[in-house]
Amino acid sequence: MKPAPFLYVAPRTVEEAVALLQEHGTDAKLLAGGQSLMPLINMRLARPEVLVDLNEVRTLDYITEVDGEVRIGAMTRQRAVERSPFVATHVPLLSEALRWVGHPQIRNRGTIGGSLAHADPSAELPAVAAALDAVFVARGPDGVRLLAPGEFFVSFLTTALEPAEMLVEVRFAVPSAPAGCAFLELSRRHGDFALVGAAAVVRLDSGRCRDVRLALTGVGPTPVRVREVEEALLDQPPTEARLADLSRGIGPRLDPVSDIHASAEYRRHVAGVLARRALAAAAARAQAVGGGEDSPS
Amino acid sequence: MTGLAGTNPFMGRPLRRREDPRLLRGEGRYLSDIALPDMLDLAIIRSPHAHARLIRVETAAARAAPGVATVVSGMDLAVGSIEPVFSGDGYHGAAQPPLARDRVRFVGEPVAVVAAGNRYLAEDAADLVEVAYEPLPAVISAEAARKPDAPLIHDSVPSNCFFRYDHAYGDVASAFAAAPVVVRGTFRHQRLAGAPMEGRGIVAAWDHDRLTVWASTQTPHMLRTGLARSLGIPEDAIRVVVPDVGGGFGPKMHLYPEDLVACALARTIGRPVRWIEDRRENLLAMTQAREQVVNAALAADRDGRILALQADVTCDSGAYSVYPITAALEPMGSAQILPGPYRVPAYAYTTQAIATNKCPVGAYRGVGMTVGVFVMERLMDRLAAAVGSDPAEIRRRNLIPDDAFPYTAPTGLVYDSGRYGDTLEAALAAFGYAEARREQARAREQGRLVGVGVAAFVEYTGMGPATFARRGMRDVPGSDSAYITVDEAGRARVLLSCPSQGQGHETVFAQLAAGELGLEFEAVTVSAVDTDTVGAGSGTFGSRAVVSGGGAVVRAARAVRAKAIDVAAHLLEAPRDDVVIADGWFHVRGSLGRGLSWPEVARAAHTPGLLPHDMEPGLQAAFTYNPPPAAFGSGVHVSLVEVDRETGLIKVLRYAIAEDCGPMINPLLVEGQTHGGLAQGLGEAFLEEVCYDESGQVLTQTLMDYLIPTAVDMPPVTLAHLETPSPTTVHGVKGVGESATIGAPACLANAVSDALGQDADTLPVTPQRILAWSRQRAFREAGV
Repeated sequence: MKPAPFLYVAPRTVEEAVALLQEHGTDAKLLAGGQSLMPLINMRLARPEVLVDLNEVRTLDYITEVDGEVRIGAMTRQRAVERSPFVATHVPLLSEALRWVGHPQIRNRGTIGGSLAHADPSAELPAVAAALDAVFVARGPDGVRLLAPGEFFVSFLTTALEPAEMLVEVRFAVPSAPAGCAFLELSRRHGDFALVGAAAVVRLDSGRCRDVRLALTGVGPTPVRVREVEEALLDQPPTEARLADLSRGIGPRLDPVSDIHASAEYRRHVAGVLARRALAAAAARAQAVGGGEDSPS
Repeated sequence: MTGLAGTNPFMGRPLRRREDPRLLRGEGRYLSDIALPDMLDLAIIRSPHAHARLIRVETAAARAAPGVATVVSGMDLAVGSIEPVFSGDGYHGAAQPPLARDRVRFVGEPVAVVAAGNRYLAEDAADLVEVAYEPLPAVISAEAARKPDAPLIHDSVPSNCFFRYDHAYGDVASAFAAAPVVVRGTFRHQRLAGAPMEGRGIVAAWDHDRLTVWASTQTPHMLRTGLARSLGIPEDAIRVVVPDVGGGFGPKMHLYPEDLVACALARTIGRPVRWIEDRRENLLAMTQAREQVVNAALAADRDGRILALQADVTCDSGAYSVYPITAALEPMGSAQILPGPYRVPAYAYTTQAIATNKCPVGAYRGVGMTVGVFVMERLMDRLAAAVGSDPAEIRRRNLIPDDAFPYTAPTGLVYDSGRYGDTLEAALAAFGYAEARREQARAREQGRLVGVGVAAFVEYTGMGPATFARRGMRDVPGSDSAYITVDEAGRARVLLSCPSQGQGHETVFAQLAAGELGLEFEAVTVSAVDTDTVGAGSGTFGSRAVVSGGGAVVRAARAVRAKAIDVAAHLLEAPRDDVVIADGWFHVRGSLGRGLSWPEVARAAHTPGLLPHDMEPGLQAAFTYNPPPAAFGSGVHVSLVEVDRETGLIKVLRYAIAEDCGPMINPLLVEGQTHGGLAQGLGEAFLEEVCYDESGQVLTQTLMDYLIPTAVDMPPVTLAHLETPSPTTVHGVKGVGESATIGAPACLANAVSDALGQDADTLPVTPQRILAWSRQRAFREAGV
């Protein structure tokens, strides 16, 4: 488990990094936190000729608010985002989901951008981005382009980034009204990639759903938004019976893989269970933050 | 029994592990920390096929690669095969070549090797080795291997059966025919990996005709024997040194192809070589464990008293019979431990080791016993249900009573001592059994799936020469040795034949020696194992180190103490029988104020002028100790689990263990072994499984796929200790290294079965299996 030979470069700016990508194209691989790439390289499953180490690019490590958006630099460590009170206030789903990412040791190294650009459909962050309609900021030789989750995630471990492009930032809209959220996942062992995960956001008004987001991990080649359920809940009270009924319909529409840890059938079944539980938890929290029965305001 | 008794002031003291500051600070020195001048690193080319004819190995391109010293395939390697010796009927072994010669028999089998300036270069060159194979039909299960038309894996192994043994005690058939209650089942136990934190590894260096080997091993002396045999040199031409070891768990007691390859290549090239197993190799080619299917039945009277037991044990032993313990160990161990702590008037079994195209099966913590206990304890729960009894009560009713020891089991094993009834009650009390049953009833009313599991077991520990001879394992001597010296400053050094795998030998053997010598703990040091300083022994496996190595240490220490007393008696001008050692001082009994410190006596012992003219100088003694056939430890586990009915996820709410390993030398170490053993048993019950696909490819090549438990997976645990001495061992001690791993899978499977109301007879119990079982139950209840 020693990597095949590669050329190592450590640019100090985004411009230099992009120039290196332009020069080496698909022969180059970006190294962020290294939590997925290093094992792949050590096992010689990935054999990049050039490794572009982004850890010297200091300008990509930030959490800010601009124009009603929380903007997070791609090289911001997951642990820093998880611990940010600012993120906890404005993007609580992200804070909650990060606690499920590996172990603290992994989150100390792993970055927000690295996880998103790796695009593992079993990972937590892609589902959060999908649920929250995050905006992906890609930087290439010709400047910046913005992508929606549906555009960014193409397939298993594949994004819409061009060979000379890199993810530099991800943006989350600050919700205009308080909502409840929940992130649940099921793995056989704590800290592993989940067999299935569910991210839910519910905003209530007078006890009825005004905004519902539901995204699943581990049930397809990309994170899956379950829009049928989101739409069916709009303007409805999120009763137990309704959630149960809607969730039962989720599994049959999914096409997960079978592997040694769980069959596709098991994943379909559990996706429905977790979706229902995540929606119910999010609705209960929405109730608690003031979206419940008619409030005086 | 002379010399077995005696008090040792360091017995029972919970001293902290003195090796921990070094190990926890990262200052341990493991095999891969060893670097010799001019050393080459090896990379092994392994078979990607489960079964294939080896046509050609093309090495020219690899030889030409940068930094490469040599590339060698099986035909070019002048070294003998691995073939353990077994004496007894029903055994057909097969030689394992260090590098495949004409056939490969499992994915991961070594085919060729590159020696280069470092491991990176070696792996680069390994990529350039081209091997041509002609695939053969692969046999991937014992069931397939036993079919009459199954391909033969070895010409020397008829019907792919390495080993078969049939045993009958009492009239089993009549007992079953007449019994009012019979319960039975088919039990499947998965294949496991030992997965120590540190993989295997070896460094080999020749100086003219003498070979020095540093190895991450449990059994340096048996490694030396195996190397000598295959290399064709005398044993005394080999020195084996064991550095810090990061976990053994059984698999590090075998001789492996890579060991021979490293030694042979170092001789050919004339340079030291090092091979370090990486995790992928570890999960492909380090011996694996268990994989059995057991059909078993229990006959009982209406009160649930056992009348007879019958078992048919089949082990998927993989491609080779391993040195030194052979393929017989695992299936024989299961069959022999099945009657456990219960009175079983009649018992018949058939046990078999079957060759398949998978990694060889060898020793792993709990070897044989864990499967046997899983089967017996599942049967005991079925028996309880059949006669309408509580699981704790059915066990109480059948336990061997205290006055029956020494007790000869229907297997022929002799249990030396135990208080099985007290052990059961201690576990139930520590757990709060009655309250847990009430808690379970309340939870069930709320629709929750909560279950209680109980498992009782015995385990053989510290086995001596008689046991290995009886089992036919001729390559295992069964004895261990110690050599103790006290220098002029009164500081003792303990050398012995049992290397620590991380379980605290530097502490526990220092306690034993200090106590016997009357020295301070701080004045005693335990050295790393080196076959040049302690010439004979068996090593660390089968819960034997404190029994066997400890026996040797105590005996050697007593000889040194006797000499020291002789010296002190001379200096004090007192009869030797009047000299006593207390708190590091030699006194004449009854005489206050006259005394000599240990350093004073030690200095005199090394100064010829101060000794009687007929006394030789020096304070040292060597002792080789033959432990008794076995000292039987016992234990009872109780657990409370909750199953998520919708997802099948299991949560262990709490856990209690009562264990009896005889007098504890260091309770902290006993508890550490018990916690660690439970963690591995929990992994075995719920998480761990080596998976092969139908073509024999290994699907679990990383620790993302082979799931070992982590700290957060551990439940809260309560421990209770009983200390029933063995009448046959020094200080009455018994081994405890495997104990918790033996009890946990049975206990947890019983708890899940209790929660589901559906038998969990297949391990590991996974969420997916639970949902499938629940569905079966729902269908059954709906009358479908």
